[in-house]
Amino acid sequence: MATATDFDRRWIFLAIGVLVLGLYAFGSGAPMPVSPYVQSYFDTIDALPEGSVVLLAADFDPGSAAELLPTYQATIHHLLLRKLRIVNVATWPAGPPFTRSSFAEIAPQYGAVYGSDWIELGFKAGDDVAMGQIGQSLLSSFAQDDRDKADVTSFPIMQGISDSFQGIALLITMSAGYPGVLEWIAQAGGRYDVPILAATTAVQTPDLFAYYPSQLQGFAGAATGATQYLQLVVAAGVPALEGTTTDNQERMLIQTYAHLLIIGLIVTGNVLYFLGRRGA
Amino acid sequence: MKREIPILLTVLCGLAITWAFFSPLPAARAVNAELLAWAEVIFSVAFLLGIANLVRISLKQISARHPDSIYKVLLLLTMFGYLAVGLCDIHGWLLPEGAGAKDRSDWIYEKFFQPLQSTMFSLLAFYIASAAFRAFRARSFEATLLLVAGSLVMLGQVPMPTWLPESAAVGTFLQRVQAFLMVYVNGAGQSAIIIGAALGTLATGLRIILGVERSYLSE
Repeated sequence: MATATDFDRRWIFLAIGVLVLGLYAFGSGAPMPVSPYVQSYFDTIDALPEGSVVLLAADFDPGSAAELLPTYQATIHHLLLRKLRIVNVATWPAGPPFTRSSFAEIAPQYGAVYGSDWIELGFKAGDDVAMGQIGQSLLSSFAQDDRDKADVTSFPIMQGISDSFQGIALLITMSAGYPGVLEWIAQAGGRYDVPILAATTAVQTPDLFAYYPSQLQGFAGAATGATQYLQLVVAAGVPALEGTTTDNQERMLIQTYAHLLIIGLIVTGNVLYFLGRRGA
Repeated sequence: MKREIPILLTVLCGLAITWAFFSPLPAARAVNAELLAWAEVIFSVAFLLGIANLVRISLKQISARHPDSIYKVLLLLTMFGYLAVGLCDIHGWLLPEGAGAKDRSDWIYEKFFQPLQSTMFSLLAFYIASAAFRAFRARSFEATLLLVAGSLVMLGQVPMPTWLPESAAVGTFLQRVQAFLMVYVNGAGQSAIIIGAALGTLATGLRIILGVERSYLSE
């Protein structure tokens, strides 16, 4: 009797490859219903008064960019559309290049001015310790900005900010793992009472339900959350994101069929397993 | 003294950071800031130690003509090459006219590092599918529960295909099941684990501060 381990796994690799490429070439997605967590992510940003300062942390790297970069860029669009000001930091060394490329593309669309509407403070080493330092004193944590290497206190956006997150209305993290949203909650949310939003990878999302809504005001989990949030931002008046939204909806269709294939493989593997046991 | 001084330092730092965390006094804030700055210096030095260790191990394998030597050579060239580009960018050395401060390192990042790391991560899709076929077995009641719950969460996470009869209704139903599993079953389990881990961390921290736990001294 054939067992699952006898089966050449390259056929499975081929099936996944053909499925993904085929759907990528010919598939078309559809709008998704929005979950309460994503709606809360959107509403929390939308409710901030114009001119508020938001700390945006790019705590991710290229490995998780497929899940987090769409939400990151949609968040920047949303914040600038609402005329909110953005202080960018990163506790992952691979985060700042995403900040630079995203703002280079998005900021001119809103006429945003560097130093007044947004600032790039760059990477801070030290994981949770760095988060604690940023919480205690953002100004002394970053002596210079990452782009112009100028004294951070010389920028208008930093004028209202002082120790213990005073002047920061909201913290948003694009969290790919450790350090990420759970560490921000421990180091900043509980200690300085700053509201926190997060976009997370699929692997990290199940960890967040225990924190919502008291310690985490909203989250966009994985590609699903990204797609739902993109839909909301486009509906709020960002036509520039229509293409990205359609792409993400197509990706969700690919994910649907990939999930169905994986479930089919689990069922087939178990049928072979039980048939093998009966035959033994 | 080799044992006593590290233990004394650990106890003093542990007590100081605990006091500084909870106390609203300006002195406590100053102590906290100072200790966090020390920790940052240690983190930064750890990066240098990491590089030194990587170079040492790689050179050892290269000199022993290990089969992976070529990859070690590539690793060292890439690491020091990118470091050199980064240093040039930071100090504005050899900057072409009209180029931005980080254009060169960002170009390498976008054209090499980003696609390479994305490719590595995306390979997971193939291995998860293979593992699902070969390893996920309903060998016991608990394993069956896990399989069924996992499958329902996977289906609730994605939109249902439109060719499926009543796809919208099926999708809504699966999303509700997924939400129930994630919010109540997973949420309760997560809370229990978080509280348990927090108490464990507290107990371990106390043992270290009180000098009872000395495993960090290789004892």
